[in-house]
Amino acid sequence: MESLSPMFGPDLNFPRGLTSARAAEILARDGPNALTPPKSTPEIIKFLKQMVGGFSILLWVGALLCWIAFGIQVAQGVASAFDNLYLGVVLALVVILTGIFAYYQEAKSTNIMASFSKMIPQQALVIRDGEKREVSAEQLVVGDMVEIKGGDRIPADIRLIFAQGCKVDNSSLTGESEPQSRSCDFTHENPLETKNIAFYSTTCLEGTATGMVINTGDQTIIGRIASLASGVGNEKTPIAIEIEHFVHIVAGVAVSIGVLFFIIAVSMKYKVLDSIIFLIGIIVANVPEGLLATVTVSLSLTAKRMAKKNCLVKNLEAVETLGSTSIICSDKTGTLTQNRMTVAHLWFDDQIYSADTSEEQTTQSFDQSSQSWAALSKVVTLCNRAEFKPGQENVPIMKRVVVGDASETALLKFAEVILGDVMGIRKRNRKLAEIPFNSTNKFQLSIHETEDPNDKRFLMVMKGAPERILERCSTIMINGEEQPLDRERAEAFQTAYMELGGLGERVLGFCHLYLPEDEFPDTYPFDTDSMNFPTSNLCFVGLLSMIDPPRSTVPDAVSKCRSAGIKVIMVTGDHPITAKAIAKSVGIISANSETVEDIAKRLNVPVEQVNKEDARAAVINGMELKDMTTEQLDEILINHSEIVFARTSPQQKLIIVEGCQRQDAVVAVTGDGVNDSPALKKADIGIAMGIAGSDAAKNAADMILLDDNFASIVTGVEEGRLIFDNLKKTIAYTLTKNIAELCPFLIYIIASVPLPIGTITILFIDLGTDIIPSVALAYEKAESDIMNRRPRHKKKDRLVNEQLAVYSYLQIGIIQSIGAFLAYFTVYAEQGWLPNTLLGLRVNWEDDYYNDIEDSYGQEWTRYQRTYLQWTGYTAFFVSITIQQVADLIIRKTRRNSIFQQGLLRNKVIWVGIVSQIAIALILSYGLGSVTALNFTPLRVQYWFVAMPYAILIWVYDEIRKLFIRQYPGSWWDKNMYY
Amino acid sequence: MAALNEKKTCSQRMENFKRFVWNPDTGQLMGRTLINWVWISLYYVAFYIVMTGLFSLAIYSLMRTLNPYTPDYQDRLKSPGVTLRPDVYGEGGLEIYYNASDKNSWEKYVTTLHKFLSAYNTTAQHANINCTSEKYFFQKSFLGPNKTKYSCKFTSDMLENCSGLANSTFGFPEGQPCLIIKMNRIINFLPGNGTAPRVSCTAQHDDFSPLELQYYPVNGTFNLHYFPYYGKKAQPTYSNPLVAVKFLNITRNAEVTVVCRVIGTGITSDNPHDPYEGKVEFKMRIQD
Repeated sequence: MESLSPMFGPDLNFPRGLTSARAAEILARDGPNALTPPKSTPEIIKFLKQMVGGFSILLWVGALLCWIAFGIQVAQGVASAFDNLYLGVVLALVVILTGIFAYYQEAKSTNIMASFSKMIPQQALVIRDGEKREVSAEQLVVGDMVEIKGGDRIPADIRLIFAQGCKVDNSSLTGESEPQSRSCDFTHENPLETKNIAFYSTTCLEGTATGMVINTGDQTIIGRIASLASGVGNEKTPIAIEIEHFVHIVAGVAVSIGVLFFIIAVSMKYKVLDSIIFLIGIIVANVPEGLLATVTVSLSLTAKRMAKKNCLVKNLEAVETLGSTSIICSDKTGTLTQNRMTVAHLWFDDQIYSADTSEEQTTQSFDQSSQSWAALSKVVTLCNRAEFKPGQENVPIMKRVVVGDASETALLKFAEVILGDVMGIRKRNRKLAEIPFNSTNKFQLSIHETEDPNDKRFLMVMKGAPERILERCSTIMINGEEQPLDRERAEAFQTAYMELGGLGERVLGFCHLYLPEDEFPDTYPFDTDSMNFPTSNLCFVGLLSMIDPPRSTVPDAVSKCRSAGIKVIMVTGDHPITAKAIAKSVGIISANSETVEDIAKRLNVPVEQVNKEDARAAVINGMELKDMTTEQLDEILINHSEIVFARTSPQQKLIIVEGCQRQDAVVAVTGDGVNDSPALKKADIGIAMGIAGSDAAKNAADMILLDDNFASIVTGVEEGRLIFDNLKKTIAYTLTKNIAELCPFLIYIIASVPLPIGTITILFIDLGTDIIPSVALAYEKAESDIMNRRPRHKKKDRLVNEQLAVYSYLQIGIIQSIGAFLAYFTVYAEQGWLPNTLLGLRVNWEDDYYNDIEDSYGQEWTRYQRTYLQWTGYTAFFVSITIQQVADLIIRKTRRNSIFQQGLLRNKVIWVGIVSQIAIALILSYGLGSVTALNFTPLRVQYWFVAMPYAILIWVYDEIRKLFIRQYPGSWWDKNMYY
Repeated sequence: MAALNEKKTCSQRMENFKRFVWNPDTGQLMGRTLINWVWISLYYVAFYIVMTGLFSLAIYSLMRTLNPYTPDYQDRLKSPGVTLRPDVYGEGGLEIYYNASDKNSWEKYVTTLHKFLSAYNTTAQHANINCTSEKYFFQKSFLGPNKTKYSCKFTSDMLENCSGLANSTFGFPEGQPCLIIKMNRIINFLPGNGTAPRVSCTAQHDDFSPLELQYYPVNGTFNLHYFPYYGKKAQPTYSNPLVAVKFLNITRNAEVTVVCRVIGTGITSDNPHDPYEGKVEFKMRIQD
């Protein structure tokens, strides 16, 4: 204090604050009062990463080889040298364009977030140079005097020097939802506990305060947590790992086949330059150039679909992560529950009644005929300070804004639903005196005139902690009659109180007293300070219990998670009893499972004697967790399927997440507070709440639930699983034709036939006809109930597994190649070149100086005539692959079910894909057939149908495969043929 | 995001790989048990046998549909290509570069021509008939030996001065070389629409004096009775008619680019992509 005095001037009560000059000095030293945004990669690095990621390296190598070949050929004066230059340019363009596309997609999804994190610049009322002024919160420096009032966000960590009725909401920092009062008193060593510090980014709920800034920017408590969050590493998403794995497989195949055939070609006495050109062809044929772009599009389509269902995905790849989630660590308040107190039970006439706690209640259906209820409802209505904000007559009662604390709000709404026009009733029963609730009395009391004009008595109503209320009562109302409160009645009360309390509900007792008319005439001056009226021997009316009830969609969602093999763990800062009650009501702890404590209680033995494996459920207190070793935590996570962690701190949340990840689980964590952000970051997928969530939580999360509803996570899981299945289909579809593109080169090298398909033509398949169909598979519906199977094991269930690769490459791909080769041989044979003539023809065929080669019929061909025929062959080969890819597309719709079970017409986009495929092929052949650079020619109509039988064969073969898989699950066939 | 740390040390990777190659616990070799390998191999053998069978069947039926005499389509053979003999290519295409006084420089051309014309000597043409008609030689039925059609004789002596018989050096040492123009065969192709197509050579740049040329046979025509061609199976002994061109006044020590066209209805020589369709272009330089 001493060191601060210069700033206060002569009068401590009138602080002068810093001078502007001094403030500027400190600002220059400490920097602005803002959190450093998480370090972001420079855009250019992100862009370059896209340029070298995935298959790009392979294609760059291809392009480079092309240019080298071009250089050598130019030096040798080969006429066709420029083909290689163009091919190199095209390959480079493919890489650059797909890179730009991927970059654009990524930037787009990042932008969604950028809009989220943008906030209106915050203002702070600061005292400088002895006068109050509004400055941007960023300009605050240590030592500044700031004033705050109810509704403000605290602009920095502040030590209070003056406070009046100041309460702050620290929930974003600590997770405690109760408002905390703040004063100037130093109450605790720990800055987090002491009452005279208000923290940056928390809100002041009511009252006013003045304080001095003690920390700014990253030095604040929040700033430190945020930097803790950013310290948690950003690892790869499961789908990124899967795609990397897939790229490795394909690149491995490409490189090994390429090198193998390079060696074969060289040892077959091909020129090294020719061998290099073959190598390029093999690389281009093997790399599915369009696939990574397709995957991105499919993911973003799913992301859009999820956004419609209130799951906003920040990171595209997180779409799939949710699908492979095996454990969800869910917050309680707001996610599982409605985040508002609601009356759940009533006790009057010696009986417990249940109230409707759903979100949209309009009536209450319990028995309201009893006179006791009439009395109770009056107490509930009158002994309540909460009020609706005016002007909300048309708003549903449950949605109206109320001024008042949580329990009073609950009571007000409850009364309004049943009685209607609570404000009118209060007006008719004018309030004469009132003692608000305080923690020493633990009751609230008010005295009213009655609305009955004949009844001149005053009505005193009281509510409060049940045991305190009961102490003051001598009678109890049963069926409208006042009866003496004997032992038996008191025991009945105890039982009810215990029962409701055991449900984790907050119980309030209500009583009243009609003040006798003679003792308290009209003009009696009630004085609340001296309490000149009786506060004992009252009449007990009833109990009401309140809870923050679960959202009505949650139990269903939890059971869906359970059948989907996802463990739902509740992690909350709340009391264990409440946590357990909510867990039971939403099914996180199922109806028939018990905790160790439950068993102990049932068997009446000490907890230590219970066999822990008998208990399916476990409720772990934060205090217990603190003393646990890693092994003990692991044991709990493995042994119990239904776990609730109560009274947990942010650090413990992180420990729990790490524990789950040690079990090889993919962990989803939900959270809203700043305190959750390290756990959100640590999780495989962090899910922040869109409404209640703090910015720090949203920043740390990968996904944002716009409606804060747990049920939305389940739809997200469903979408995530679907996209994983569909990506599998897309990849299988795309990989298949790689063989049909690769075989021509291999046959060309080994059998020396004229080249069946050119590299440019291959690119037209990969980046032309195949693109829309492979995206269309992302629209495919699920084959069976994907929510009835276990989540995939992230290390065992790969996106591209051996079966998928082998079935696509070595079976369907081979059939496709055969079909395409048939078309190739047909075209050549019908134009005069029989298959046996073609073998070994390559060298002469490609000889520019050989202009009278004889075909099988004795006709002589010039080089250009041959080339043109070769292009016709390319076109026929291309068309055949396209036709067979249509069949491939149809079979890829399902992996297990028959196409007829799935329905041919259900996914309309597939048909768009098929039409686009054929349309593109038609345009290329007939529209652009005259452009020589593209190597397409107008094809005779019948050549379109040559591969058709093979297309049908593909379909039939795959139907048989699926039939056997369905018929003989677990058989050799199933293991080897199901991908 | 996730803590999926997949970093492994090199030795761990090697260990994993070893386990993959041979897993002693499960008896798995490269991820499969031995019996499993047998099964999968058998399946693939069967699969490929069936596929090969299907492919062979398809090729077989394709061959069955083909006409052995004429191809189904001649989409790319609308107009015949034209070639030159001797066909010696240098950096810029066909090149006849030699030194008249240096035998080594022109001997290769002469040898090529002799070799080429050996197919046209009387013995080689023995099986073919003498034709005198100036019209297309249509043959509806197979009247020749072994169910073939007749082919007309073209013997090298028809090239008179360029036959290589009288002057075995084809005029190369004299600086008046003979070159031979050949038109590609196309089945059922009828060039000229009733008029015999003829060869016409011109220098591309008329910087020098106009070319003085002598064509053999006279007028440089391809006699119509060599057409139409019925294909290798119907006319196994068919040989293309030839036209020889003797260049009489090639400017010495200068490069002359010559284009020889075959002129006749149905023969086009203006395809920008195909330099050999209906014409042949070559360079000549004769040094002293």
